[in-house]
Amino acid sequence: MSDFLLQTAFNASYAASYMALIAVGLVLIFGVMGVINFAHGELYMAGAYAVVFFYAGLGLPFMVAVAIGLVFVGCLGMLMELALFRPLRTNPLGGLIASIGFLLMLQTVAVLGFGLRNQNVPPVSQGRITVGGAFLTYERLYVILATVGLLLALWLFLRKSKFGWALRACAQDREAASLQGISINQTARYAMFIGAGLAGVAGALTAPLVAPTPYMGHTVIVTAFIIIIVGGIGSLEGAVLAAIIYAFVHTFVTTFFDGVIANIVGLLLMLAVLVVKPQGLFGVRERA
Amino acid sequence: MTSASKVSLNRRTLLCGAASAALMPVVGFPRVSFAGDDVVKIGFLAPLTGPVAAWGKPGLDGCKIWADWMNEAGGIEIGGKPHRIEFASYDDEDDAGKARAGATQLIRESDVKFIMMLGGNSWPGVEEIAARQGMLVSTLLPSDLTPNTETLIAPCEVHPIYNVTGVDWLAANRPELKTAVICAQDDALGKPSVATYLAAFEAAGIEVLGDPLFFDPATTDFAPVMTQLLAKNPDILCLDTCYADYVHPLCEQAFQQGYKGQIISCTLDFYQRIVERTSKEFMEGVIFQFPDFDDKALNDPRINFRKPNEFYAEYVKRYGATEWSAVSWEYSSIMDLWADAAQRAGSVEPADVLKAMKEGGKGKHAFGEARWWGKDLFGLDNALVGDWPVVVIRDGKATIAEFRSIPDWWDKHGDLLIKHMTDLGQMWSQRT
Amino acid sequence: MPERNTISGAGWAGILALAVVLLAVPHLVSFSQQELLVFLTINVLLVVSYRLLTLTGEWSLAHVVMMGVGAYGSALYSKLFGFPVPLAMLAGAVTAGLIATVLSFPLFRMKGFYFLIGSFAAGEVIRLIWKRFTDPFGGPKGIQRIPGFPEIDLGFLRIDFYQPENYYYLVLVVVLVSLWVLYRIERSRIGLTFHAIHWQDKLSESVGIDTFGHRMLAFVVASFFAGVAGALYAHYLSTVNPNQFNVDTMVYVLIWTIVGGTSRWYGPILGVIALTIIDEVILRGIGADQWRPLLYGAILICAILFLPNGLESLVIRAGEALRGRSASAVTGAAGAAQD
Repeated sequence: MSDFLLQTAFNASYAASYMALIAVGLVLIFGVMGVINFAHGELYMAGAYAVVFFYAGLGLPFMVAVAIGLVFVGCLGMLMELALFRPLRTNPLGGLIASIGFLLMLQTVAVLGFGLRNQNVPPVSQGRITVGGAFLTYERLYVILATVGLLLALWLFLRKSKFGWALRACAQDREAASLQGISINQTARYAMFIGAGLAGVAGALTAPLVAPTPYMGHTVIVTAFIIIIVGGIGSLEGAVLAAIIYAFVHTFVTTFFDGVIANIVGLLLMLAVLVVKPQGLFGVRERA
Repeated sequence: MTSASKVSLNRRTLLCGAASAALMPVVGFPRVSFAGDDVVKIGFLAPLTGPVAAWGKPGLDGCKIWADWMNEAGGIEIGGKPHRIEFASYDDEDDAGKARAGATQLIRESDVKFIMMLGGNSWPGVEEIAARQGMLVSTLLPSDLTPNTETLIAPCEVHPIYNVTGVDWLAANRPELKTAVICAQDDALGKPSVATYLAAFEAAGIEVLGDPLFFDPATTDFAPVMTQLLAKNPDILCLDTCYADYVHPLCEQAFQQGYKGQIISCTLDFYQRIVERTSKEFMEGVIFQFPDFDDKALNDPRINFRKPNEFYAEYVKRYGATEWSAVSWEYSSIMDLWADAAQRAGSVEPADVLKAMKEGGKGKHAFGEARWWGKDLFGLDNALVGDWPVVVIRDGKATIAEFRSIPDWWDKHGDLLIKHMTDLGQMWSQRT
Repeated sequence: MPERNTISGAGWAGILALAVVLLAVPHLVSFSQQELLVFLTINVLLVVSYRLLTLTGEWSLAHVVMMGVGAYGSALYSKLFGFPVPLAMLAGAVTAGLIATVLSFPLFRMKGFYFLIGSFAAGEVIRLIWKRFTDPFGGPKGIQRIPGFPEIDLGFLRIDFYQPENYYYLVLVVVLVSLWVLYRIERSRIGLTFHAIHWQDKLSESVGIDTFGHRMLAFVVASFFAGVAGALYAHYLSTVNPNQFNVDTMVYVLIWTIVGGTSRWYGPILGVIALTIIDEVILRGIGADQWRPLLYGAILICAILFLPNGLESLVIRAGEALRGRSASAVTGAAGAAQD
């Protein structure tokens, strides 16, 4: 039984990792730009297809393909910022619609370029570590380690660098930040690069594990929204914590009951948090 | 105030002008139906975009090959005159409302003589139009059949009933395996399939450990599902009728979590990928139900599918080897059946073709002579069942192990299937 | 203040022209477009009721599920309990209103983005219940063979509501009455309070307005009419399943509403009509096939970039231009507006 629990804990750690990457990116984008990026799941999909193309297709080393995925999707994010969110800065609902339009386009491009089927990504490693009767494959371990590394780097960046300071200032109050001489455009561009890049890297890292399809973004976006709400939008720490809580609850309920119940429990958990703390665990006041 | 309301009313007049202007070009839009009198149009009403497109689009691609071959050979001869075949497609997006508009367009505007559908979510929207217009419609999902759907046929894939052949073969060839676990996605495809596997395992004297595990279609991580399944230490792991998105990670999880036993599944689309991601040894002996069409066993004279090896080669040439899936050939095989019946009837009118198809209660199924069946399960005999291949992975390649008879199994164990279908609420009379 | 409408001669002419168009439309389009017309008219009610909810400043993602509550409710009342269809429709819509009342208590503790996602979660729980509990909701396959609207047989006249043109007229009457009711609500004191809550939440509260009560009222009324739309949909299509009311459908309602614009009552109507014609008639007509979602996405982006205030802003601008002209030519305004 203890092996069984440990195994489930390993499974949950993996799920928590990639969901945290996605959710933190989403929070960053929402925090700095105030826009709900519905295309975030498709950015994750784009990251996975970067690995399909560069690693499975061209045969580049996996980590190189993941890095390309990060940069490529980050650039997609900057493109979105420049072409969609900047002109619509005063119109958050417009930003939402534009992101839906962009989502449809990304999905179609993936269908036309790669077909409808599941993509084949060769295994990166079939190794595994074993702890008692439970085990963790290297592929999953990479996801967990990369997440910890990236999130630590992001945290340091936000705490120590000037840009980090500007980002946090923008997330707190855009007008005030602007008065402080912070360039909103530049900050938004960097936030979008980092936020999209994190989604892309999550897709890239998990690509060998999930068999990418053009519609894979659909399954993560809803979970990501739940997580950032539970964590409190605008709070990166909250998003990470909520990702861990959600992944553990969901994984354990799936293991001991079934997946549909797990989804219902996840949603009720979120509603319960909102009823008790209408602004999430780490939330600050709702921005107008 | 007065002027404001006047303006708003004027806006309304403007709006109606705009609306009528917008609708005007619509009037011109209905597609001109084909002028030539020796063209037969066949409707293809299935999802071509969106998440379910993988169940429609490859079939339409296969039908293009079918039509090209047929037309190159001079078309189909009806009443002494050659007719060209043309496909008219409508993307129903797996939605009943769109399917209803699509069926109306195909029947009343494109003047098609037969409609092929994926079925499932979309069929209820078409049911009444098909009945009123007397249109012959085929589905890949026989769970659409009820006693009233007289013009709906399930002539190719009588899902999930053929799954019994795999279990039957397994019990005959590996009698030492005694216990099984089942998992399935919780949807309209998974449930009847679970009932079928439960019946087949019971008939074969194999004990199913615990309840079947249903998971949500939106599941992204299958590790916990597999952890729960393997905790019961089964001899046989049954993956039911899962989509490729689930079969792949499930197999990988089974591999990674150290499972060594037998795997049985309904589908194993793109199995090369699973072999690559696990190992040849792990996948050796996995049983499923869908052959590759380059399999030489399909050249057996009793197979009615025309030139299966050539069809596969042409498909691969046009669309790429990796695009081949079960639905690639299914719609084409239905066209074989239709063309045969139309030729015998000397007519393309739906009622005549249906009559010719069902003549003598027998039909030419893709995998050999078969009988029209289904009254006990669906309320009418509009499903075509006969032999179905049991496919086994050998040295990393899908190979047909044997064709096994579904009717033979049914005659012996039909009551078990009815029992399990009833338990899961899948009988036609239980479906709301 | 509720205003009094005085309708000028030109106004009457406009109403008459609109009526003629609405009555004539089914006879001007093809058979399959008649089907689209029925769904489009139902969707008009869906988006206009959605707009009422947004007047208080809250954007819900549960609206399509509320439509589903009306559809499932009406289907079950007529199928299981043998209610006559018109009564079942009403009961289904009332059910949607009641469920909205209950949901108000947890949901209106939240605001803005929290409310948006909170409403999504509440709706999703309802949808998963339909999916999970086969009895009585039919599980993932949903409910089939829902009785249609009873046919009217007067001997000399037989109206079969399976026929899209007949059902269209039925839907048209229901939708027009609903639109009128929604319009009156918006123009009433309650409607003005909705606007006030949207713009000055705290201020409204401090002058003694019950913001919770008004938000709840908007949510309940909007859900009731969404339920009406759902009931109309269910008895026409004769089937409902959980997929029809998922977040994808909700996204379309958002798209229609926002692309149309929400500052005027007709904005969402423009949005739903224009985008439905573009997607279902034009993009299908040119044979865009697999490219269809891409083109639709591009059109959405262009629409929101170039018309950030919605399609309605075109009408407003045109109206202003005409009014400008009417100032110089005092009598010409009404006549010009019709051109």
